[in-house]
Order: sequence, then structure tokens, then C-alpha cells
Amino acid sequence: MQWLNTRQWTLARREAASGYLFVSPWIIGFALLTLGPMIASLYFSFTKYNIVDPPKWIGIENYSRLFSDPLFWQSLKVTLHFAVLALPSGLVLGFVLAILLNQKIPGVNLWRTLYFLPSVLSGVAVTLLWIIIFNPQIGAINQLLEKIGIKGPGWLNDPDWAIPSFAIMALWGVGSSMIIYLAGLQGVPVDLYDAAKVDGANSWQRFRAVTIPMMTPVLFYNLVLGLIATFSYFTQVYVATSGATGGAGGPARSTLFYNLYLYQAAFKYFEMGYASAMAWVLFVIILILTGLVFRSSSLWVYYEGELRGKSES
Amino acid sequence: MFAGGNAPQLVGPNGVSTIAEFFDSWADITPFIEAENFDTSDFYGPAVELNQYPEINTGLPLGLYPSFILYNIDMFDAAGLDYPPSDFSDTSWNMDKIREIGMKLTLDANGNDATSPDFDPENIGQWGYGDQWSEMRALLAREGAPDVGRPTSADYKTATANSPENIMALQWYSDGIWKDHFIPNAEQGDAMDATGGSPIESGLQAIFQTHTWYLTESIVGLPFEVQLAAPPFNHKGERIAVIDADNFTMPKDAAHQQEAWEVMKWLTAPEQIVDVCLIYGCVPARKSVQDSFRTAFQERFPDLNLDVIFESIEYLDIPNNEAWVPNWGRVNEIMENAGGIIKTGTNIDAKSVLDETNAELQTVLDEYWASQ
Amino acid sequence: MSSTTTTPLSSPISPTPAIERWKLGIRGGTLAVKGLTTLVLGAGAVIILVPLLYMISISLRDRTQIRQGSLELIPMRQIEVEINGKGEPLYNVTVDGQTRQMALVKKAPGGKGIFADPSNLDQTYELVLKDQSPVSVIDVHPENYPEAMTTVPFDRYFINTMIVTFGGMAGMLFSCSLVAYGFSRFRARWINVLFLILLSTIMLPRQVTLIPVYVIFQEIGWVDTLLPLIVPNFFANAYDVFLLRQFFMTIPLDLDEAAKLDGASPLQILLYVILPMARPAIVAVAIFHFLYAWNDFYEPLIFLHSRENWTMAVGLQTFNALYAVNTHLIMAASVVMIIPPILLFFFSQKIFTQGVVITRMAEK
Repeated sequence: MQWLNTRQWTLARREAASGYLFVSPWIIGFALLTLGPMIASLYFSFTKYNIVDPPKWIGIENYSRLFSDPLFWQSLKVTLHFAVLALPSGLVLGFVLAILLNQKIPGVNLWRTLYFLPSVLSGVAVTLLWIIIFNPQIGAINQLLEKIGIKGPGWLNDPDWAIPSFAIMALWGVGSSMIIYLAGLQGVPVDLYDAAKVDGANSWQRFRAVTIPMMTPVLFYNLVLGLIATFSYFTQVYVATSGATGGAGGPARSTLFYNLYLYQAAFKYFEMGYASAMAWVLFVIILILTGLVFRSSSLWVYYEGELRGKSES
Repeated sequence: MFAGGNAPQLVGPNGVSTIAEFFDSWADITPFIEAENFDTSDFYGPAVELNQYPEINTGLPLGLYPSFILYNIDMFDAAGLDYPPSDFSDTSWNMDKIREIGMKLTLDANGNDATSPDFDPENIGQWGYGDQWSEMRALLAREGAPDVGRPTSADYKTATANSPENIMALQWYSDGIWKDHFIPNAEQGDAMDATGGSPIESGLQAIFQTHTWYLTESIVGLPFEVQLAAPPFNHKGERIAVIDADNFTMPKDAAHQQEAWEVMKWLTAPEQIVDVCLIYGCVPARKSVQDSFRTAFQERFPDLNLDVIFESIEYLDIPNNEAWVPNWGRVNEIMENAGGIIKTGTNIDAKSVLDETNAELQTVLDEYWASQ
Repeated sequence: MSSTTTTPLSSPISPTPAIERWKLGIRGGTLAVKGLTTLVLGAGAVIILVPLLYMISISLRDRTQIRQGSLELIPMRQIEVEINGKGEPLYNVTVDGQTRQMALVKKAPGGKGIFADPSNLDQTYELVLKDQSPVSVIDVHPENYPEAMTTVPFDRYFINTMIVTFGGMAGMLFSCSLVAYGFSRFRARWINVLFLILLSTIMLPRQVTLIPVYVIFQEIGWVDTLLPLIVPNFFANAYDVFLLRQFFMTIPLDLDEAAKLDGASPLQILLYVILPMARPAIVAVAIFHFLYAWNDFYEPLIFLHSRENWTMAVGLQTFNALYAVNTHLIMAASVVMIIPPILLFFFSQKIFTQGVVITRMAEK
């Protein structure tokens, strides 16, 4: 930038100062509540710390203990198992719903509202409801199954069905991602469809050649966020596994999600150093996952600009 | 609460488990006792012992919760069986006998009991016996392993969860669920709690082994009659009736320890202790008030045979099933997980389950001692 | 970062003219497609709604009804007749080709039951239990609601939740407006770097900062108070700042310039020019915050220890853990907890969904 004279330079400086001033609440908060704690938790991860006594430096012992801890691996396994069940099905279901809700049918806004409704409700309240619905004896699901002659499983009490139970609960709330897909669908330029129609494509071909490629950024975005979210999954698991079957962590530890184990380590066993190590391992996992998905995105994500360029050539 | 730095002055009543869980947080009341020559002789031996630790006296005892058998009279009548005995010298009343009558009291949807060849284990309508609310350490303690309710050696360095007695106790329980079908499994037990709130209340279980705290809430206004009976003898011919105990404690960093001490003394004083105990359902820890407590308790439960409770105390488990062990939180989780594995049928062989449990425990103990 | 495309949700793909449809061989397809779509959506909506109706239904039952475990949405109770001092359930029983009402006196082996007519107790019939249907009557218990609210101090929890939610909302609106303004209207050397850092914190998992933050609050004595849940909002958060900033950037600069010529300070421009124009975004952000804070469980669980400080989410969970038997009361309390978000949602859904669209599209 050319500073033609002192006055412009002073104005620019004043503008910058104002800008920083307005942003200062965030800067302070960032230092106090984000950056500082990040450094502190990295430090804690190399210590033995139970809050009551001061931290004691133990080097990489937390990390080595972590990697030989069967509960750590169990928690990873549980979290990934849930991700494998819930993410693809949520993606497909949300996408399909969005397509359906993109039609011009009467009351479409009402439908959209309805499907979005579960996502605004309290996780605690909803989970308590599902606990009743999943009850093996008097719950609605098993009673319905019994009417058609199937003996329903133990759901939340059965180690093999506990994670699918959570996946079902998660699918009930698919409305929140459906809205995103809907927005994505409506962002697809109409002229692309027209161009395809002119070329003689039928609806299925239009779907494959236009809709899907144009939606891949949204799908990709939701996939990444969804994967990260499964590592933060907490409320539903805590509420649903506080009962009599083995305490928090589910029947035979079958629902010991990563975030739950971290919480237990920190606030049940008072192993703050260990929990901090878990938090950093989580951070690295998320970075790797995000990196992988971004890297692979060049293969299958089309951005509007690119496609436009191609079709106009 | 303690992690919050805003510790209250007096905490309680605490079970042995709560004291163990927050072991490092308590103040030692020995100085207070010595300062005024406080007379602790009226406190009942076992009540004091259960809350006593070599390095620290964590607080004044409030009371004991002995365990016993509770049974549904109507279900026994319907099956035409003799009631469980309240005579503590009756040695025929043991675990095998419980299994025997438990099976007769377990009925499927068609009314066949568990001894009949037509019994359908997929459609059980009621169960004979259950122990769902007992913690694993308590359940295992009954067979009388050398360390009783503590899954470690006395020096806390060796894990002893897989002692032969423990394995026997767990296998008995596992067979009860999966072979003989007179004990509900995880999902059946949970469903029972959801419908009725507790095993006896639900009316779906004939016999329950529990403590006196259960009486204060769960047997009021039931549509059937219940009665108390003696806890059974184990396979070694001994009887162990696991016990819970409560005391009052004072956090280490409480600001007004003297006042807390005064309140502690007041709550456990002969004048108040009976009233406090009536609320919680414990037998007061003071010998001098046993009779007045007994009268008051009997008034609340006129039909129950309270002799059982008082006799049960003699058979308490020391080391207690809730007592402190290193890394108490993790040890507890490991033990409960063993129970979960059995109750959900993931693995019904008690020996392999307890061997793995023991290995996990040993790791936890080793880690604890390595960092001391 | 691509520019925001705030396409309103109500314009779908334009339908093709009749001649083209015929050419593509989908005769009358659009109507069939629409009909099918509505049908499928209807089925899905049932799946969405039924659990909620079930929640309400259970909240209106009493313990015996829950024990009977009936599947109907309307709370029913099987009538009992008193026989020999005991209440026995009444059934509609088919006997000798007639349907009569009889009480089940005793269960018999083989899935049968012994039934007797209450007016004629000597004559008993042994019939297959499964073939008889219970005589039920509608039995609703709205008193569950006041009972649930008083069994545990829900009024206390409600107040705490309101304080946390609205206190936090005030702090958030205050700080995020300022920060978003700073990021959208001022040129400065490092401001874009700072903005990128802000964005990257969206990806940061809470757990990485949780424990030290907890330790900080404990050291200053704020644990077990509502403060850790309210005060951090006064330092802005990435999500809302981002949303507001993107919206602010769509407001034309001429208004700013005009105000500047009138001698307005930056703060005045924010207050009198930007904020009034940004009302939709502000409302959206406020609503998001309300829903987040109202439903939050994780942080209240960690920071609030004493019963009197709990928010509704923690209170409800503890209610379930301690008094699990009171399924009807727990459901009543749950219904109460979900009502404010539902109401808020219905009254503001247009703004809400638009706000979501703005956020997510812009984040690309």
C-alpha cells in the first residue's frame, strides 16, 4: 500500500487500532481460555495430577500407559464402531430426505420443520425417552417386534446391540444434517439441470451427472464434522449408561465412548494428567482425520467454479 | 465437591465406599477425640472397625446396614414351599438350598417352574432369586475368600480377585442365570427395575438378598407380603452377611473443623442417633440405644421379624466389600465390569472372567505402587 | 471462502413443461412423484413424532399403568374388580360364544387363567390367557406434572438454567457483535491472520482445554457456581463471530461512509448502522445460543456439584439415576424441559433455518 501522506497513514493506524480493539475480547479470551489452557494441558499430559496435590512430572509415562491400556483401545473401538454405523446411514438418510423435501409439495415447510424438530431437544430428555422405548420388556420397540413374532434383543442392555441402539437414536435426529443437504441442493444452479435436459438426460441421469457431483462439497463437509462429533459424543452415553448394568460405560464396557472414558479418567479417577494425554491424542487423531479427508477431497469433490469451467469449454 | 475447593464442613452419612473413593480428602478426627477425651466406648465394635483405617480415623460412625434375605410370602404360598428360616442355626439353609427353591419359584409364562422339562427360559414370568443390587465385591465376599470383601492382599500389593472362593461365588451366580435360569440376567433385571423400581417391588422376584436401607423406601405399600429370613450358609459351611456402614466425615480443608466436630458429635449422640438412623434405615452404632431403636423400628414395620437384622450383624464381612483399596475408582469399575460380563452373558465362565479381572487389577495395583 | 448464497428455502427446482416431460417418457410423473414423496415423508414424520407423543403419554400415566406396559398412546388402565379383598384385573372374555366381562382370579399352567364373573364367583372358567383382551379405561394423570416439579427442586433448576442461558446470551451478543464488527469492517495488518486463527479453533476439541480451564476456575473458587458457564461467553466464540461477521460483510459500506461523514465513531456505526441491519443474524445467533445453553449437559455436569446449583439438564439426569422407578415423573419432567425449545423453534423457524443455511453455506 502506498502511504501518500502522514494523514492517511495515521488514519490507517487508527483504523487498525480500532479493529484490534473491537476484536480484543476474543483475543483475551483466546489467550486465557484457549491458548493458555492448551499449553497447560500439554504440560499436564506429562504429569501425574489429581487436583488435590500439585502436578508431578512423569515424562511420557501417561502416553505409554495409554497405549497399553485396554480401556483406551476399547474406547477407540467403540467410537469407531458407532461412527461406521451412524455416519454413512445418517448421510444417506439425510440426503434422501433432503431430496424428498426439495420437491414442491403442499406443506413442504411444515415437513421440514417437523424433521428438524428432534435436533433442538435436550439430549438428556430425549435419551431418557429412548431408554424407555428400548426397554427389553415393556419398551415400545420390543412390543412391536413381538406383535410380528420377533423376539427383540436387549438393546441398551445387550453388549451386541448397545451401539446400534445409539445409532438409531442418532438417526432420529438426522434433521439437522438434512437441512444442510437441502441448502446444498438448492444451491445447485438451475442452468446446469437445463443444460442436461437439453442434452436429453432423464431425471436419474440428471441426478447422477449434476446433483451428486454438485453436492459432494456438502457431503464431504458433513462427513468430516460427523466424524469429529463422534469423538465428542457424551451426553447420550452418560445418561443411558448410568444405570445398574456395570455403571457408566455400558454393559461390559460395550459403550465406553472415547469422550466418556476421558471424563471418567478426569473426574471419576482424578487422573488429570492421564486425561490430558487422552485429550491430546484425540486432537492428533482429529487432525489426521481432517487431513486425510481434505487430501482425498481432490478425488471426489467438485467445486462450482471447476465444474462451470468444464461445462463451458 | 472437594475438587471445587468449596468443601462443606461436615459430610455424611457416608458409606464405606464414599470414604474410600475420596480417601485423601478427610480430616483425621483423632486429635478431636484426644483433646476432650471423647468416650467412644459406647460405639459398637463393628461399626467403628469398618470405618477405621490405620493412619486415620475418618469420623464418627452413624450406623450399620446388615444384610439378610427378603422374600415374597405370596409367591412362596403359590408354590407351596416352606418359607426360608429365620433360625440362624439351621445349617440346611445354604446356597444349594437357595438354588433348589429358587428354581421352584421361577416360573415361565406358562406356569412351568425351572425344574420342569417344559420350562421355557425365553419367556420367564418370575424369578426365584436375585442379587442385582449387590456390588460385585459384596457378591463374591459371601463365599468367604481369605480376603473376604477385598480383592487384594492385606498389603494391597497383590490382586486376589480370582481366589477359588470368589470363582465359586461367581460361577454359582452365573449358573443361576444361564444354566438354571432362576436368577434374572442383565436385561431382565433392568426391565424389572423399570417396571417396579426394584426387584421386590416389581413383584417379579421371590427372594432378594439386601440391606436394611432397602426397607425404608421400597417395601411400603406393596400389594403382597414380605418377610425377613437369615442369610444363607456358603459352600464352606460359614455364613457371611455383607454389611454396609455409614459415618460422618469432615473434609481436610473444611474451615470450621471444631464446629463440624460438634455437629458430628451431636448427630451421633445417644439422643439423636436413633432418629437419624430411622431415616436412613441403619442400626445405630451405639450399644446403649439398641433397644429404643428396635422398638421404634418395629413400630414402622410391625410385621417384619427384626431379630434377623440384629443377628446378621455378627456375620459381617471384614475386610469390608466397600473398603478402601488403591485406585479405588478403577478397581471398582473393573470389578463391576466382571459382573457385567457375567450378567450379559458375554462370558459365563467365572474362572476365565476372574482371571482376566485379576490381571487387570494387578496392573492397576502395580501402577499405583510404582508411582508412590 | 466462497461468498454467501442465501437462497431462501422455499424455491425448489423449477418443474419441467408438459411437452418435455412427455418427451422424456415420464407421463404424469410429476404428480406420482409428488404423491409418493408425500407418502414417504408422512411415514417418516410418524416415526419422528410418535416417540414424542409416547413421551407425553407416559408422562400422564401412573406406576401401575407403566407396569402394565401398554403400547397405546392414550394412557389406559385395566379395570380391577375387588374380589375377596384383592383387586383382580378384568378381561373381556369369550365363553360359550358370548363375550362377558370376567376377572382373572388366578394364573394356571399352560398359559391359561382362571376367570370368574364377579357377580357369580362360584362359577370359574379356565381359558387361554392370551386370547382374552383386557377391559381398559382411559386414565390420565396430569398431577404427575406438579409432583415431578416438586419431588426434586425443579424450580431451582429452572431458575439456574434461565440465569445461565440468558446471562450467557447477553455476554455472547455483546462480545460477538464487537468482535465480528472488528473482523468485518477494519483493515489491519494482522487481522486476517487472527481471523484464520479464530476459524481454526472451531476444529479444536473441547477436551484439550477442558482440564486446565477447570483447574483455573477451581483456583479462583468459581467451581460449583454458575459463573464458569456464563462468563466465558463474554469473550466471544468462533462460531457466532463467524456467522455475524459474514452477515456484516453483506451490509453495504455506503451506510458506514454516510455515518462517518456525520462524524460517527466506529462504536456508533456499529450500534446505529450495523446492528439494526443485522437483526436476522443476531436473532439467529441468539436462538442458537439459547438452544445450546438450555440443553447443555457436559459443562454443567463438570462445573456444578451442589444440588442447588444444578441446571435442568443435570437435575433431570440425576432424577433418573436416583428415582428410576418414577418413570412417569421423569417423563413429565422431560416434557417440561423440551417445551421451551419447541415453542421457540416453532415461533422462529424461518429465521432459524435461514440462519443455519447462512452459516453452513458460508463455511464452505
